[in-house]
Amino acid sequence: MILYGGETYPSDQQDRLLSDLEKRIDRTLCGEGLSRETVISTVDRLAERIEAGEFDELINSFAPDKAQYYKETAVRAMKRETAHKRLAIELPEALFSGCTERLNKRVFPLGVLFHIAAGNAEGLPALSVYEGLLTGNINILKLPSADNGLTLTILRELIRMEPALADYIYVFDTPSTDLEAMKKMAELSDGIAVWGGETAVSAVRALAKPGTRLIEWGHRLSFAYISGYADKETELRALAEHIASTGQILCSSCQVIYLDIDRLEEAEEFCRDFLPVLDAAAEKYLHLDIGEAAQLSVRRYCEGLERAAGYTEKSKKRFNGKNSSLTICKSSTLELSDMYANVLVKRLPEKHILPVLRRTKSLLQTAGLICRPESRDRLTETLLRAGVNRVTLAGSMSVPITGEVHDGEYALRRYVRVTDTENC
Amino acid sequence: MDHRKELFDWKEPYDTAGTSDLFIQTMRDCCRFHYDNCPEYQRILDAADFRPEELKEEEDLERLPFLPTVFLKKHHLFSMPLNRLPIKATSSGTGGRYSKIGFDAGGLAGAFKMVIRVFSKLGLLSPVPCHYIIFGFKPHRSNHTAVAKTATGYTLLTPALSRTYALKYENGKYEPDLEGTVKAFQKSAGSAFPTRTIGFPSYTWFALKLMEEKGMAVKLPKGSKIMLAGGWKQFYKEQVDKHEMYALAEKILGIGEEDIVEAYGAVEHPILYCDCKKHHFHVPIYSRVIIRDVETLKPVENGKLGLVNLITPMFRGTPILSIMTDDLGILHDAKECGCGIDSPWFEIIGRAGFVDIKTCAAGAAEMLKGGTGK
Repeated sequence: MILYGGETYPSDQQDRLLSDLEKRIDRTLCGEGLSRETVISTVDRLAERIEAGEFDELINSFAPDKAQYYKETAVRAMKRETAHKRLAIELPEALFSGCTERLNKRVFPLGVLFHIAAGNAEGLPALSVYEGLLTGNINILKLPSADNGLTLTILRELIRMEPALADYIYVFDTPSTDLEAMKKMAELSDGIAVWGGETAVSAVRALAKPGTRLIEWGHRLSFAYISGYADKETELRALAEHIASTGQILCSSCQVIYLDIDRLEEAEEFCRDFLPVLDAAAEKYLHLDIGEAAQLSVRRYCEGLERAAGYTEKSKKRFNGKNSSLTICKSSTLELSDMYANVLVKRLPEKHILPVLRRTKSLLQTAGLICRPESRDRLTETLLRAGVNRVTLAGSMSVPITGEVHDGEYALRRYVRVTDTENC
Repeated sequence: MDHRKELFDWKEPYDTAGTSDLFIQTMRDCCRFHYDNCPEYQRILDAADFRPEELKEEEDLERLPFLPTVFLKKHHLFSMPLNRLPIKATSSGTGGRYSKIGFDAGGLAGAFKMVIRVFSKLGLLSPVPCHYIIFGFKPHRSNHTAVAKTATGYTLLTPALSRTYALKYENGKYEPDLEGTVKAFQKSAGSAFPTRTIGFPSYTWFALKLMEEKGMAVKLPKGSKIMLAGGWKQFYKEQVDKHEMYALAEKILGIGEEDIVEAYGAVEHPILYCDCKKHHFHVPIYSRVIIRDVETLKPVENGKLGLVNLITPMFRGTPILSIMTDDLGILHDAKECGCGIDSPWFEIIGRAGFVDIKTCAAGAAEMLKGGTGK
């Protein structure tokens, strides 16, 4: 399904619609532009309707377990207060406007943004478009292949509520293999926001003309760091619930639990304590479909085979629960776990934090920090210096906090340009 | 006594009940051979405390350790020196990794006999020459995928008048040439001889759609057939319902449902499963199928959904005697089909895995391994 100028079309109309798009875009860019207030108030009104339960059935249909969480997160992200707060932090007047003696500075939209969205978080493509609208851009969105119709529903509803948005939202369900179409969309754009792994990013780099601004979101890893506790039981439970409820599929999900210990044997004690907590959380939050369960079982079985065949180093020790597992590894390198409540446990004494994490500096995102209250400031400082972009409590690693940076940057700032006009 | 030769020489390809003992004997020989000649395989069996001699009856097959295709894609195992393996085929690598499987001469001879017996049982062998349209790769020395080898192999079923390929090797890569296949369809419609298409369901479907869009329809001569093999691969999302495809083939080419044959197989398990007239994949005498619970990996009873475990003693080059696919399927009793073939049949329902979800954390891991230095 394609959303184009406020109308929906079947996918096979893509090439015809794309060939007319440049003319439409030029016409829109000649116009008065999109008022920020229009965007904020329309999205805010939609948030109210979501809050009132108008979309419960839809939300329930794709995320029955986490419907309430999604609903709250979406509503919070869409509220007027959030928009104002974000704008105040990310695009403060003082930073861009104001005059030097000879120059008048203004903030303009980039123009046309091409969003290539990922499918690992529900509603993310729509959020990406919202950020583009908030900065006044025309948005072309390529849906992820996993999209379940939610994005289209939200965006169509916005246009229905405010027809002026129709010229600023174009959604295509083009498969990533249709390079011709992707190239066309890239050529029409001033900036490309790509969410995804290496394959997606490299493909986009090949598509984009030099000079097109690339905004690459994604490919990040996060971890928890434990150095003592303020309240052990509560903190471990919060960490376990974070791990199970995100399924470890987000950039901000904990892949590795680092322990501030000198001897690896001490990790075993931690695993024995933590495994039942993690298992209980997985039982409560993690619901795999049959294909996911199958993949996970086969993966575990393969590990057994690899050990038996002599492929794996004997440097790993695994603690299996019913719904989860912990694997102690000798190496300290930050790496991807098996996900879905299968966590790696590694040793990382405080003095090694910086050298070890620097090895993966371009991939660091969130550190969930559990520690004694008196060490918190010092450890936070060390983690940030090592390249981590967010330090949170262990339970809230993936909870969005209004005004926060995204992978070390303010998203809205990447979607605008600053112009200078010489005063006469 | 060469049990394998005896099994592959058996006249009736679906006589699974009559060949049960022979099948187990052949499995035992095969297992012993790989145990003695592939050290990694030996360690795997030792760790599971399983000896080849424990294969005494069909029930014992479920205890034989199986190798998942993901394992074979990561580790390339051989039980014979590479120079004794005439064909080393790779899988088509859905997801970027390839299995490398060694096929020995004895196994290939068996494979040839199997293909002849299965096709003749299903009425696919014919002395009448025909035109071939191949929705697959045109052979090129750079392509070692089994798919490319088998698709061309199928054109030996009947004398070939012409071969048109939908994927042509140009400028160092394969490019689809659907227009070319559409022209071939038009040309063959006027021929006195039938046409057979062979290959990926996706490209077959795209060509049919292209003709529909152009408002074209032809009536291919009697005896024409559509043969589908190789799965939807990267076009997973475009996968259409079988019946939709049957209806379009009737409309565009005048080929009825009874003349559409689908094959299932994998490079890690090169047994030819062809669907019967009721479009069911029956298990031939050369293999057995066990469906396993997705969590415990223990066998489930017929009629229940699970992971598809395929078993065959066909090859000695690589220990692929029991492999676990990524496919989810159901095994049914023979009597539930009613086509007359007296052997169990299975259907493929889906695939294991986090299919459509590409996690961003996993993307980061790719970068680590790729060492792109970004």
